[in-house]
Amino acid sequence: MTTVRRMGGRGGIAPPWMFAVPALLVYALVMLYPSIVGAGSAFTDWSGVGEERSFVGLENFQQLLHDDQALGALRNTLLLTVAIVVVQNGLGLLLALGVHTTIKSRMVLRVIFFAPVVVSPVMVSFLWKYVYNPAPDAGLNAALGAVGLGALRQDWLGNPSLAIWSVAFTVIWQCAGYSMVIFLAGLEGVPPELHESAMVDGAGTVARFRHITWPLLAPAVTINVMLSTVGGLTLFTQIIAMTNGGPGYATDTLSTVLYKQAFVFGKFGYSTAVALVLAIFVAAVSFVQIGYLRKRETAA
Amino acid sequence: MASVFERPVSRRRLLQLAGGVTAASTLAACGGSSSGSGGGQLKVIGAGSQEAGLRKALEEYKAKNADFDFNLSFSPADQLQTSLRAQLAAGNAPDLHAVYPGNGSAMSMVQLSKAKLLGDLSDQAWTQKIPTGFKGAYQQDGKTYIFSPGTSVLGAIYNKKAFASAGVEPPTTWSELLTVCETLKKKGIVPLALGAQTPWVTQLINYALVPGTVYAKQPDFDDKMAAGSASFAGSGWADAMNKYLELQKRGYFNANPNGTTYEQATSMVGTGKAAMAVQVSAVLQAYRAAAPKPDDLGMFPFPATDTVADNWIPGGIVVGISVSAKSKKADQARKFIEFCAQPDVVNAWAEAVACVPLYSEGEAKVDPVLKPFLPYLADNKAVPFMDQRWPNAEVQPTHFAVVQELLGGKTTVDGALKKMDEAYRKSA
Amino acid sequence: MRTPYRPRTFVLELVMVAVAVAFLFPVYALVTLAFKDPGQIANAPLSPPNPPSVDSFGTAWQSASLGSALLNSTLITVTSVVALIVLGSLAAYFLARRASRLSYSLYILFLVGIILPFQLGMIPLYQLVNDLGLLGTYQGMILFYTGIQLPFTVFLYTGFIRSLPADYTNAALIDGASHLQAFRHVIFPLLRPITGTVLILNAVHIWNDFFTPLLYLGGSGRETVPVRIFAFVNEYTSDYGLVAAGLVLAALPILIIFLLLQRYVIRGFSSGLKG
Repeated sequence: MTTVRRMGGRGGIAPPWMFAVPALLVYALVMLYPSIVGAGSAFTDWSGVGEERSFVGLENFQQLLHDDQALGALRNTLLLTVAIVVVQNGLGLLLALGVHTTIKSRMVLRVIFFAPVVVSPVMVSFLWKYVYNPAPDAGLNAALGAVGLGALRQDWLGNPSLAIWSVAFTVIWQCAGYSMVIFLAGLEGVPPELHESAMVDGAGTVARFRHITWPLLAPAVTINVMLSTVGGLTLFTQIIAMTNGGPGYATDTLSTVLYKQAFVFGKFGYSTAVALVLAIFVAAVSFVQIGYLRKRETAA
Repeated sequence: MASVFERPVSRRRLLQLAGGVTAASTLAACGGSSSGSGGGQLKVIGAGSQEAGLRKALEEYKAKNADFDFNLSFSPADQLQTSLRAQLAAGNAPDLHAVYPGNGSAMSMVQLSKAKLLGDLSDQAWTQKIPTGFKGAYQQDGKTYIFSPGTSVLGAIYNKKAFASAGVEPPTTWSELLTVCETLKKKGIVPLALGAQTPWVTQLINYALVPGTVYAKQPDFDDKMAAGSASFAGSGWADAMNKYLELQKRGYFNANPNGTTYEQATSMVGTGKAAMAVQVSAVLQAYRAAAPKPDDLGMFPFPATDTVADNWIPGGIVVGISVSAKSKKADQARKFIEFCAQPDVVNAWAEAVACVPLYSEGEAKVDPVLKPFLPYLADNKAVPFMDQRWPNAEVQPTHFAVVQELLGGKTTVDGALKKMDEAYRKSA
Repeated sequence: MRTPYRPRTFVLELVMVAVAVAFLFPVYALVTLAFKDPGQIANAPLSPPNPPSVDSFGTAWQSASLGSALLNSTLITVTSVVALIVLGSLAAYFLARRASRLSYSLYILFLVGIILPFQLGMIPLYQLVNDLGLLGTYQGMILFYTGIQLPFTVFLYTGFIRSLPADYTNAALIDGASHLQAFRHVIFPLLRPITGTVLILNAVHIWNDFFTPLLYLGGSGRETVPVRIFAFVNEYTSDYGLVAAGLVLAALPILIIFLLLQRYVIRGFSSGLKG
């Protein structure tokens, strides 16, 4: 162990480089090196197998601009992301407000709403695939029939107009509890005295939420919006397990398209071009979001 | 240490996926390995649908050659596209692995041989016996790269009891087919089970119709497509798709085909809730497993037109095996393929996967259910599965997607075929 | 805002319980399915099983080889999480405490890893793991998870360490302890809250991951629970009762752990992300 001790930040004695080296090595080996090599193939026509590959410059990126399937997938990705961000967090907030009260079942309810978060998305997808069974006597359709709403029965995953929302709902069902606990943590940070004095001033529930709770929840909103946005933009497993992008192209996302380009169409170069664009897109969205939301936090 | 945790995965039930029909629904996972890994073993990865035949051949070969041992695992069609393809990409392909005949998918003979990943088998004597009509499935630039035991046919698998209860017989023309469907429907039986949520199932009805609506009139349609003087949109493909939709409009499919899976459709026919399904013969085992008695099921050629003479059938070479170009045990692997190519082994393999052997000495032993199809093969009225002549791996998945869109009312026949034409025109 | 229990509160309680019942409907459908024989499924898909049959569970456990899958998942998850805690906390301690341009750039370099989609490096990494002879092994998966989850782990630890006063270590170092000793005995115990978060978030992620183990472990006999259950479900799709039993069995271990440690798990998920 090195004995060189120099002063680090905040008045501490800086630890030696050796502390960072193992992590850096593993990180470079598993993420940096493969990603750089992979990004390189975005400029080639490599099929993914064999030696043959040649440099094609920006051709893959130009192709992307005219690829109906990729553009449709981009549209689906954005729709899914917006739906997930809005509904998951809206629901998460309502659940958090509901269990952040004196109701007797509050602890049990927290556990129930959070439980799906710890289960594998593959298994949740299979569960919902059964729930969405198109037969009138199974799953959700059977439940609708049982409560007299038989007219609302649907082919949940088979109807191209509906499938994307069915997938979104599965994700929301699984993740709303996640949003809830982050909002709960925020709610617990709101000093009760603020509410008490506001009540003395005669402020109603809605007014107190708007002027006290909501501004103080800003950091929780930031985290929730960021997490659900990245999750929505990179959604993959649930779609592959539930619809495989279908019917037609109705639920293809950028992640499933780049997977199919690489493994089904044998266009690895093009696939990594899509992956690169997705990475830059996610980074840009996160960056803009964090800038805006942080500003909102400090303004509050 | 690792071996403490290792327990052999239970052998999978014979897998359902179709032989000549390539890509499948989801990325399903692995089959079990029959033995641990070891130095002297030939590593073999097969497709789920060839398990019965390939395993039999390997075991028989091992029994005859004391120094031969193998490590065999299976994947359903779709996983070939993930794990096996990743292995090929990384240069650690198994010595022998499943390959689809002809062209048209990322795991097809043409695509892989172009990438120089397959060993040349041309110097083996059996390659001289490949019938001319099937050469395109086995050969690229005059060299043979794949061994496959024979042809699987595509037609209607039907439940004899359901037919009997409605008092109908297998039809021989399109109009008769509609009448049969109408009778079944009135009887409360779903005429045709369609599990179109499973992508590869979407193509089957078109594959059954196109030999009659396209190839009977234009046997050189594929060459014209390649030359650019024909298109899907301007051909009998449009008739086929309109007929596909007509079946839907008349209510002859189960409700919500886009939300129904292959397995659900299989059990509908097996139990007699539905009367028939258009399928490849390679999945017969799965249908039989779903029926109370295997004999309850039969097959007949699915009629595409009202002119009996025009009703050709689709019959394609089933998924085969190839030697990896990078294999260190290529000699052993090639010897095994030579063994497989002996007429009696070909016949045994073919019988196990319900297909018609590539060649035979004397009378071939064929699953009796396939009898109605044999005259078509003898008269050269069989057309290889369409994707085997498609120039890239994009046309077939496009076909899957547009059929789902058609069934969902999201596109027109013309729009669907234009998309397929676009995919076809993309370079290989 | 702990108001007393009023009639309004009671109404809210009813509403919330109703929401929870609707929320649990899929779980109810799955569990009842698992306890029914095929005849009951066909005739009464939603009613409670009568009489309940447990046959499906034994068959599912056997056919999906869930016992060995649980061992595989446990081994991979535990080892990866330990490696992540050791490597991540050390690196973060360095990054948080050394104020140089280089160490800041290094921190940013780690953060880049949070947004890189894994598909970008998927094939080159696969080749690398193969060249190292680690395909189909536990070690390969552990290396993968350690690398892939490090950026997030470093991010969590660095944020936490920055908020700690530096005096503790200085005192220890002045007493003559080595850096490593000081870290082990003084700093690491202080990191306990964030270590809990790192442990929980990484463990849940690794345990539930699906695509990479499918790619790396498929056919090796060392498949994890999600991979085995995926194969199982695809094989028996039309046998609803059996599939349901398999899903229930596969989800049960992590749900039991969650119920036992719910307080910590929920805290882990909600606190670590206040970055």
